[in-house]
Amino acid sequence: MIEFLNVHKRFDVPVLAGVDLAIERGETVAVVGHSGTGKSVLLKTTLGLIKPDVGAVRIDGESVFAAGRRGLERIRRRIGYVFQNAALFDSMSVWENVVQGLPEDELKRLGRREATQRVAGALEHVNLDPKAILSKLPAELSGGMRKRVGLARAIVSRPEVLLYDEPVTGLDPVNATVVHRLIARLAEELGITSLIVTHGIEGVLPIVDRVAMLDRGGIRFDDTPGAFRRSLDPLVRAFLDRDVPTETLQIAEAV
Amino acid sequence: MLRTVGRGAEGTLRHAGGMALLLGRIASALATGRVPLRALVDQIYAMGVQSLPIVLVTASLAGVVTSQQGGYQFTGSVPLYVLGSVVVSSIVLELGPVLTAVVLIGRVGARITAELGTMQVSEQIDALYALGRDPVRVLAAPRVLAGVIVVPILVAIADAMGIFAGMFAASATLGLGSDNFLYGARMYWHSWDLFYSLAKGVAFGFVIPLIAVHMGLSARGGAEGVGRATTSAVVFMIMAVLFLDALFPPLLLN
Repeated sequence: MIEFLNVHKRFDVPVLAGVDLAIERGETVAVVGHSGTGKSVLLKTTLGLIKPDVGAVRIDGESVFAAGRRGLERIRRRIGYVFQNAALFDSMSVWENVVQGLPEDELKRLGRREATQRVAGALEHVNLDPKAILSKLPAELSGGMRKRVGLARAIVSRPEVLLYDEPVTGLDPVNATVVHRLIARLAEELGITSLIVTHGIEGVLPIVDRVAMLDRGGIRFDDTPGAFRRSLDPLVRAFLDRDVPTETLQIAEAV
Repeated sequence: MLRTVGRGAEGTLRHAGGMALLLGRIASALATGRVPLRALVDQIYAMGVQSLPIVLVTASLAGVVTSQQGGYQFTGSVPLYVLGSVVVSSIVLELGPVLTAVVLIGRVGARITAELGTMQVSEQIDALYALGRDPVRVLAAPRVLAGVIVVPILVAIADAMGIFAGMFAASATLGLGSDNFLYGARMYWHSWDLFYSLAKGVAFGFVIPLIAVHMGLSARGGAEGVGRATTSAVVFMIMAVLFLDALFPPLLLN
């Protein structure tokens, strides 16, 4: 279970001002909101990458910021993080990038052959052909492929929690739908708790259990996708202004 | 004006504090022996082997210029063989280490800042943390350790090359044979000078990658931020090298 308790964070201006949110084990939750509402900041507090000024973040009752270095390492091992622009290491091949997702002690224990099998398995999970791309550099991949390699890197260690920071930003509608379906499949097949941060709601509603909307530093809405669709809140309505065209869904199905 | 001075002082202190913290974490990584060997070898190759041609060219030119200008000054007043001592002392005490450092600031320091700065603004550093890899251990420590190992070696090579080029230039343009050149060089040679030269190499080899790494990891704000960090890093590295250079004579030549 992930809990955000009264989380405050200020940079030049207040970004988070008392966020309270709980995500149950196995749940898939989308956090939506306009750009600059602190969605990515909230996500990064989960891994201890950004420290809140006030408040606490807990993973299964363990406070991220009171855990110490070892505790934080232990928490991070349980969490996979998919970065907005994949954040692949430019100078490393796809194999090297994905294998970095394995903890160092596990990597030593597995050896190169088994590690390669794990990497190949993770790439197949995200619909990529390992033989075709293992030796490629990130610069040789399309945006959609880079996102999927980032996803493979996040799941190769078989985490209990996956955090997605704008997983479809910059992707065309077809690739965006492919990635959304992957997220749903991973949550279902691996029983992963998923927290998806996005500023676009299209495509996310069908794959999540709950939607939370961040606005002015706090949670403005927190309910099911059905309730989100029915909401009369003007800000919620603004997010529902368009849907994914059926043709896009059909093409994504083929991909 | 006071505000500008205050802001400048605050920025300098912030960087100094940041570098002290970075240094502590690098020392911890080195003490626990957790520096990845492959990354260290890669950095030694990039800093050492790949910098060698430009270090050799720079040292050769420094040797030639010192020899020729010395010869011009000595004509008719001082025995020409003294030029050997002037060239050797100039190269070993000053030009070898400092010019090597300046070359490395441009070739290695700027590259490290730009590389780590790009990793910072594209969230690759955050990705390392998220994957349980400490960027200081896997990125900073190998670079600083490689600098400390490689730069004294480059300085020694630059010293030898500068002296050889100076001797060749003296022979070709001033008619000072290598025997006379070496006779003059031996007359005023102190073995301590070589230690002094290599000690400068160690100091520069430590401070250049340390500043470069710190500035890279401090970069913010996209491509423009990386550019700003790289420019600032080059300025800081040059100032640090010249400041250290000025500290050496009172500390080690008295």
